[in-house]
Amino acid sequence: MIEGQFIVQALLIGATLFIIFVAIRSRTAHGVSASKKLLFMLLMLVMVAAVLSPGLVTDVANLVGVGRGTDLVLYLLAVTFAFYVVNDYLRAQDNRDQVNRLARRIAVVEALERYGISHREVPQPPEEHPDA
Amino acid sequence: MRDVAFVVPVYNEASVIGGVIAEIQQITPHVVCVNDGSSDRSAAEIVEAGAYLVDHPINMGQGAALQTGIEFARALPGVRRFVTFDADGQHLVSDALQMLELLETEDIDIVLGSRFLGSSVGASMSKRMLLKAAVRFSNLTSGVPLTDAHNGLRAFNRHVADTLEITAPDMTHASEIIELIARNNYRYREVAVTIHYTDYSTAKGQASVNAVNIAIDTLLRKVTQL
Repeated sequence: MIEGQFIVQALLIGATLFIIFVAIRSRTAHGVSASKKLLFMLLMLVMVAAVLSPGLVTDVANLVGVGRGTDLVLYLLAVTFAFYVVNDYLRAQDNRDQVNRLARRIAVVEALERYGISHREVPQPPEEHPDA
Repeated sequence: MRDVAFVVPVYNEASVIGGVIAEIQQITPHVVCVNDGSSDRSAAEIVEAGAYLVDHPINMGQGAALQTGIEFARALPGVRRFVTFDADGQHLVSDALQMLELLETEDIDIVLGSRFLGSSVGASMSKRMLLKAAVRFSNLTSGVPLTDAHNGLRAFNRHVADTLEITAPDMTHASEIIELIARNNYRYREVAVTIHYTDYSTAKGQASVNAVNIAIDTLLRKVTQL
């Protein structure tokens, strides 16, 4: 029993350490805000603490009016997942918007070149055309 | 009318686009066709018909194609007035002429075509009811009272062409244009136009289920712009 518990703890902590390792090594991490990084580290610490002493989660659950620790973890997971889905959807829309702008510029510039029309007139700020 | 440019988003319309271009060319040489990544001969047909071909490298949706076409048309020398026109032949050039006339004689920025002030040839009962419901939804969310929320036939002046920025790439752009009318305080007018629902245009047109998508996207845009 005790030895079984040790195995699962080792696996979970190993996985946590691996996630931290991957996150730190990532080159794109420069663009992530400091608050998100802190939040991430905090989450990792909570994970390790919860793995090392399972009773802790139940104590916290009881504190906020939830019977079992596993229920609390499930609720938090559900909320986190919903947040992730919305965040991911919005980011995908931003990406699509950027790709569309890029493709539009390519299409317009290429067409203007083909028909020998001056580039100068292409996207100017609105103020440049007073003849409304 | 060399001061008028027609913007026509084209997606797999090879069989009809040539005829539509020829009709527009009777009133202006400036026909801007945005080929939105068609997989058929649309691009070749556009070139053969003698229209400007603006070629999207990828399929981006009708709203994105309209924005591209408007940005290209802005660069055409001497163009002051713009028309958006569907590629499937459901609009009439004579309706566009009447709308352009209105832009000249009245103090307005944009003229919108309405099926419900005019007649819809061949529209099914369910299609009409859905469109009416869409109008009610649009009036509620945009604050711009109209009789038809999703009509592809519009005529507008340089001011609108320079300031219009459609970000909704898909069919939601019709609602977005109406929201932009409210936000940018464009002076607008609706006129009766005839929509010719042929078997071709009905088969090519959007499925009615898509109304749900448009409604949800519109509400989402409201929320994210708060």
